[in-house]
Amino acid sequence: MKSQVIGIFHKRFREERETLWALKGVTFDIRSGEALGLIGRNGSGKSTLLKIIAGIYSPSSGQVRLSNPRVGTMIELGVGFHPELTGEENIYLGASIYGLSRKEVDKIYPEVVAFSELDSFMDTSIKNYSSGMQARLGFALAVNLDPDILLVDEVLAVGDEAFQRKCMARMEQFRSAGKTIVFVSHSPEDVRRICDRACVLDFGSMVFLGKTGEAIDRYHALLGAA
Amino acid sequence: MSSVFRYRELIRNLVFKDLKLKYRDSTFGFLWSLANPLLVISVYSFVFGHLLPVGVERFPYFLMIGILAWNFFAQSLMMSTGSILDNGNLIRKVAVPMEVFPVATVLFNLAQYLLALVVLFPLAFVFFGVLPSWSWLAFFPILALHVLFTLGACFVVATATVFYRDVRHFTEILLMLLFWLTPIIYDIRSITPSLQSVIYLNPITFFTLGYQNVLYYNIFPSFQEVAVLTLLTVLMMVTGYAVFVRLKPRFAEEV
Repeated sequence: MKSQVIGIFHKRFREERETLWALKGVTFDIRSGEALGLIGRNGSGKSTLLKIIAGIYSPSSGQVRLSNPRVGTMIELGVGFHPELTGEENIYLGASIYGLSRKEVDKIYPEVVAFSELDSFMDTSIKNYSSGMQARLGFALAVNLDPDILLVDEVLAVGDEAFQRKCMARMEQFRSAGKTIVFVSHSPEDVRRICDRACVLDFGSMVFLGKTGEAIDRYHALLGAA
Repeated sequence: MSSVFRYRELIRNLVFKDLKLKYRDSTFGFLWSLANPLLVISVYSFVFGHLLPVGVERFPYFLMIGILAWNFFAQSLMMSTGSILDNGNLIRKVAVPMEVFPVATVLFNLAQYLLALVVLFPLAFVFFGVLPSWSWLAFFPILALHVLFTLGACFVVATATVFYRDVRHFTEILLMLLFWLTPIIYDIRSITPSLQSVIYLNPITFFTLGYQNVLYYNIFPSFQEVAVLTLLTVLMMVTGYAVFVRLKPRFAEEV
């Protein structure tokens, strides 16, 4: 099955006296089963690009073409979770935000609980969870939604080292299962581990697209120049 | 709108979340939602039944019909000012059909409305000997139109609040004005024709009269009345949804 992501993006934020283009003329395609890293300095447009691919923002001009509609976003863990609700209630609420039906959630529920290692806390309000536990629940849900295209934004920065290792292992598993990944990170190490190719963004423009190693060198050069 | 159906589980969860959160950890739970209409009905019954009588028989029952329907509309509208705005955190992070939020708001208030009716009708029977009549069957189509009309209005308010936060305050004031321009605590037949024509400019009036006809006067609505309600509902729904759809691509950036 061939899956492609092709995009030409222009994103303009609010018309002010001088138009600020958050993204300008960014074009690339991603093949099915490929992992693309997005790197760049703060404010270079990485997250905006990710949100455009996810369909959260609509581009001022240009378009995104997805051959596979099951897009999973991990822009933030535990989106829609409510502190007063229990772990179980939050799994059901959180999964339905991604359009899952009750039956589908019933099916993934045991795996989510097992992955989070929080089975004895499912009846507890998550306001009583530590931030690490909340992140674990959020990640456990996100990876079990089983999307075909996974968009990940810096979510691995949370949790302890053991949890981060588990997350990275899961991402590699996604890779080997032939899923498409777009991965935003500030950590060159993580990008090197996950991605075959990377795209370097700067001031909303694509300054490099190619092998991950070269992209990281390019990114470091940018940091050095600044 | 088809995506709304696909996301029905989310709508269900949003409605139950609000219901749960509203009553969790409170001793009297749902009884609190009855406290407000009961108090309002008691106070108005005293003031407009005894101090300044408006001359309606079984006045508390008459009030109950108008007030519960009004509360459904007004509370939906007030809550819809936050339907998009208060879910900003979610809307900025996940691509979700945004129609679900106003829909959930209206369904949450519908649930409260129906629960209040279920509890208060027996009271009306005990105190005023109110008995069901065949005309009560017409309550359901009127309710259906009322719900859709309210949803249309909520689409407008939810959208407008995203761009102008003042809408929240404006809506509050507008609702207060509309309340007195709706024949809830007086019988429309008891006021002068020139005043009546003003009251008829308010679309909510037609829904209130519809409810009063079927539940209080026990008469079926006429064909014209149904036509007017349907027309109002279609207009409100089409306008509201068109505004919402046109502006929703900008929601994620504005919230």
